[in-house]
Amino acid sequence: MASLTDQPERMSLAAYWELLMNLTRREIKGRYSQSFFGAGWAVAQPLATMGVFTLVFARLGQMPSDGAPYPLFAYAALVPWFFFSNSVASGTMSLITYRNIVTKTYFPREIVPLAQIGSRLVDLAAASGLYVLLMIYYRVGLGPWGALVPVFLLLLVLFTVGVALATSAMNVFYRDVNPVVQIGLQLWLYLTPVAYPLSVVPDQYRLFFLLNPLTGVVEGLRAVLVFGREPEWAVVGISSALIAAIFVGALVLFKRTDKYFADVI
Amino acid sequence: MSIAIQLENVSKRYRAGRSRTVVDLVASSLNDLRGKSATVHSANRGTVDATIHALRDVSFEVPTGAGLGIIGRNGAGKTTLLKLISRVTWPTSGKVRVAGRAVSLIELGAGFHPELTGRENVYLGAGLFGLTRTDIDRQFDAIVEFADVARLIDTPMKRYSSGLYARLGFSVAMHSRPDIVLVDEVLAVGDAAFRRRAMEALRQLIEQGKTVLFISHDMWNVRRLCSQILWMEDGRVRASGPAGEIAERYMSEVNVEALSANATALQSHRGGTGEVRFASVELHRADGAAAGIFAPGDTVLVRAAYRAGVSVERPVFQVAVVDVDTGIVVSTASTAAGDVPAVIQGDGVIECRLERIPLRPRQYVLRLSITDPFQLASYDVVTAGPRFAVSGQGTGVDSLADEQDGLVSIPFQFTHHDGDRA
Repeated sequence: MASLTDQPERMSLAAYWELLMNLTRREIKGRYSQSFFGAGWAVAQPLATMGVFTLVFARLGQMPSDGAPYPLFAYAALVPWFFFSNSVASGTMSLITYRNIVTKTYFPREIVPLAQIGSRLVDLAAASGLYVLLMIYYRVGLGPWGALVPVFLLLLVLFTVGVALATSAMNVFYRDVNPVVQIGLQLWLYLTPVAYPLSVVPDQYRLFFLLNPLTGVVEGLRAVLVFGREPEWAVVGISSALIAAIFVGALVLFKRTDKYFADVI
Repeated sequence: MSIAIQLENVSKRYRAGRSRTVVDLVASSLNDLRGKSATVHSANRGTVDATIHALRDVSFEVPTGAGLGIIGRNGAGKTTLLKLISRVTWPTSGKVRVAGRAVSLIELGAGFHPELTGRENVYLGAGLFGLTRTDIDRQFDAIVEFADVARLIDTPMKRYSSGLYARLGFSVAMHSRPDIVLVDEVLAVGDAAFRRRAMEALRQLIEQGKTVLFISHDMWNVRRLCSQILWMEDGRVRASGPAGEIAERYMSEVNVEALSANATALQSHRGGTGEVRFASVELHRADGAAAGIFAPGDTVLVRAAYRAGVSVERPVFQVAVVDVDTGIVVSTASTAAGDVPAVIQGDGVIECRLERIPLRPRQYVLRLSITDPFQLASYDVVTAGPRFAVSGQGTGVDSLADEQDGLVSIPFQFTHHDGDRA
């Protein structure tokens, strides 16, 4: 017989992982069931945006892409961007959406926003598949620096988790967080070097761009993936430090406040 | 004896209503500027800084393997207790200590997703209770069998009926190897057969040494499952002790209140054509004293005043005792010669004497009607008339067992004979 304790029962790692996987699956199925095109929508979003960006920025705006084909250049950044943006957008609302189980059963709360991110990882994988086809079409090979791709994806996921944990927890207490996040994400796309390279940013604005952790992720990913060259380590370093700080801060915030979720949701 | 649940000076406060928004702030400051009191506004909107004390300084212990019933009015803090024990929420002050896994059945199938099949939802739902895939694999057949959903297990749950939904939810919770099961009124859904099986399953859990906390307004079920009762009132423990004794005290208090509220009031649930109407109905004991609570075997005197707007020939008065859950227990009619005058007009009083009611302890309502001589058309029907209760005081109902199920009691005697069928 277990002894009396005032702490919640610890979930085994296996059970934790499986619950996360199950909720992720539930998310994916819920999103794509009864949809004819299914997971194809995960590809359509960055693909269509790539088309518009190519027209507006490359054709009309003569935006340089440092020698790479502009569509490939844009797509390589749009895929991680939409992963981040969609994860944070649905992650922010996730605890509200799941209020039914949050107020009725105990389980580690962070699994709810994490499942949102998990489901968007599937979208990311599908969209990456198309990237491979684009590489073949534009005859762009993957150099040895391509080995760093997983590192940047890890940074991307860590940052996404950090932001989503923080916004989802805050949104439980103040619903104003959600509209701020949704508007912020729209502006954030243009303040991140997605449609343009960091190299076109004038020096006096450069510091502002470097304070955006996604700058290092997107620029680094594009360097090793599209250009097959060494990333700018200074930029990557600044972003990594920011991501680590945000991740830890968000985790602490989430675990400090999650006791009160059921009371205020 | 080990302790499964221990609460020590637990209090829980909530901020009432929704939190303040910018609009509220602007509105209230505008009101302040105009010199209006902000409380008017907040009362209208039902908000602003009101604190609800859901629990105040609650302490109790539940021994391992006990069945504890939790009773009390709505808002007494019963559900908050369960939420604290299941860690869904945390106390504002005090300690909640629990030994082992507590599984809460506050809402059955809360974690299910309608787009997923029954099978997928079993894994999802059991996962919420902390089970791993291998655990669930092992239990899967038992879960499906108990819920009796084998035929639909690969169908999306949006095609399930609500009863089926609840059944699968209950089954998943039962099979998640709980040490403590918290049940909150959930058995109200589902059909009678399932309710019986669910009660049986809970009883078996107690027999296996698990601890069950059971919230219900149905004293009957509480007493069948639980040996002890905790009576909550206004966030405090009003009383706790042996189930029979506490349930009895609770029922008589609730009954007295319910009865004093509508002793002579006739509900608006009126039918009939209206030539004659009941004006009031009173219940009395055999000695004539007004009463609302009777003991089994008491005589009940129903005295009803009526007013006939026109002259009515050979009316029949009916008085029926109705059990809220199951329907009419007994029905009477004034059809014997001399019961009622051949013609009535104006005001009058009719009395019906129910001799030595053989009713088991429960709450009943009266249904009164006035009909034509053939009891076909009604002049007046009061479908939910005055309530009265039969209380078990002094009848030894503490040992409620299955053979005492039902609404009426009749004298009975068993005799045993040896040998072949006679």
